[in-house]
Amino acid sequence: MNQTIVSYLAQYEFFDFFLNLFKGHESLLSFLVYLVFALIIVGMCATIGGLGTYAERKISADIQMRIGPNRVGPYGILQFLADGVKMITKEDVMPNSADKFLFYLAPVLCLTGVFATLAVLPFSTGFEMSDLNVGVFYLIAISSLVGLGVFLGGYASNSKWSMLGGMRGASQIISYEIPVTISILAITMLAGGMSFGTIVGMQKGLPTNWFIFHNPFAFVAFFVFFTGALAETNRAPFDLPEAESELVSGYHTEYTGMRFGFFALAEYIEVFVVCGVAVALFLGGSNLPFNIKFDNIPLQLFEFAIFMTKTLVLYYVVIWIRWTFPRLRVDQLMSICWKYLTPIAIFNLVGCATWLVVFNGKSIADLVFGGH
Amino acid sequence: MFVQILFGLSALLTIASALAVLITRNIMHSCVFLLGTLIGVAGLYATLGADFVAASQIMIYVGGIVILMLFAVMLTGGKDFVSRAQNLLGLAPAMGNKWSYALGLLVGLVFLLTNFKLLNSILNNVTTKAHTNEFSSTVNSLGHLLIKEHVLAFEISSVLLLGALVGAAIIARPRKN
Repeated sequence: MNQTIVSYLAQYEFFDFFLNLFKGHESLLSFLVYLVFALIIVGMCATIGGLGTYAERKISADIQMRIGPNRVGPYGILQFLADGVKMITKEDVMPNSADKFLFYLAPVLCLTGVFATLAVLPFSTGFEMSDLNVGVFYLIAISSLVGLGVFLGGYASNSKWSMLGGMRGASQIISYEIPVTISILAITMLAGGMSFGTIVGMQKGLPTNWFIFHNPFAFVAFFVFFTGALAETNRAPFDLPEAESELVSGYHTEYTGMRFGFFALAEYIEVFVVCGVAVALFLGGSNLPFNIKFDNIPLQLFEFAIFMTKTLVLYYVVIWIRWTFPRLRVDQLMSICWKYLTPIAIFNLVGCATWLVVFNGKSIADLVFGGH
Repeated sequence: MFVQILFGLSALLTIASALAVLITRNIMHSCVFLLGTLIGVAGLYATLGADFVAASQIMIYVGGIVILMLFAVMLTGGKDFVSRAQNLLGLAPAMGNKWSYALGLLVGLVFLLTNFKLLNSILNNVTTKAHTNEFSSTVNSLGHLLIKEHVLAFEISSVLLLGALVGAAIIARPRKN
């Protein structure tokens, strides 16, 4: 059975009041609950995406010994709102020979793919839209819409720069999907299920129970996953699709105003989602350390805070990497994927399977300290 | 109710995009509408309780096949394939003459009747079983079926895929002059 936000709320008494209110129309009630929480999560993540642009500037400024945005609001924190207003009020320019239909569709596809992944992101044990049985698989599948959006955006602009950026983006995203998926498969095998509920539930307790410390292969799998995920989100050092110094701005060269904003927002939210997935798969997810017991509502709040903290720390690492490493060349990008990451990921998968058989599914900590 | 509405929307998306694939005159647009059809089919699977198949559908077709098709169309000059001629009430691009349309209609009719014959027993015993939001997991049963009962077909298809991979590598190999 799937745990959803509706089935979580149904255990509280106030939900009975709504059930009586919607007597005979329970499906409408569950639709409304989904709608409200979808709006909450999308609004929250859009804000995080917006603040991501601010964080990116501020951290890059810090790394390069500058000050960064400091005019709008305290410490310039309202800069992203100013940017948003600017983007909305800007003229929506479309190249004359662009493919109109695809030009309009591409940013929407990008944003849809990213927002659809939020449906299974486990913010806490209760605050998650749906704990699908095929959660991780669904997430990998639906996020491939982003690659399609990048590609179509590049094609539809009818400009050489956009075209090259779009082709690079699509080929890069497809290639790096393979090591990422195989690394996730290793974790799926350790957890014995594809739902985030199962995966996070297996990592309760001390950090030694996290899957990253489960065995040496899983430890390597985390870095393979993280590198591949960076490439899938087109972040530096893998930002070839939008390489400023070669392709002006890559696949969104011809986009202006809010359509460009959609691409930028999709990228920043996708980074957040990818960090969240890394946290849920490898870094213990939203579990409280030491199995501390709380009442239900404080528990949810603490779990949410822990998940967000871990995710935002990883977000910081992603930005840090971007402003530290130089960009790769295309041939280096492909050789990293096909000659290094994919074989390592397959080796990890076999290694994890062997470990499960040989040590009966016990982690290193269990073997050393004699756990369960 | 909720599930029925979603099923209806998915079916509508599937059929409408399939029609759009045929009607549009730009081959790139055709590919994108095909995407809508494939997503609609995934929606049908999901509402019928086959969650794993639905996710696989999106994974394989949206993430792989459609992008591959777009690449192929683009690299072979897809933009120049915009069909100018029209036929059949000015709707469909002229991919044939009246004989090919008549033949297509005949084949479609035969196919439809055969399908109805096959589905007859099912259609007569439609149980209006109420759908719930609680889907049981299909992953376990699928895994067991693939590895235990249909392991031969599974292995043979993997050999086929390996053959395709090797063939592609040989075709794409740089030639020595």
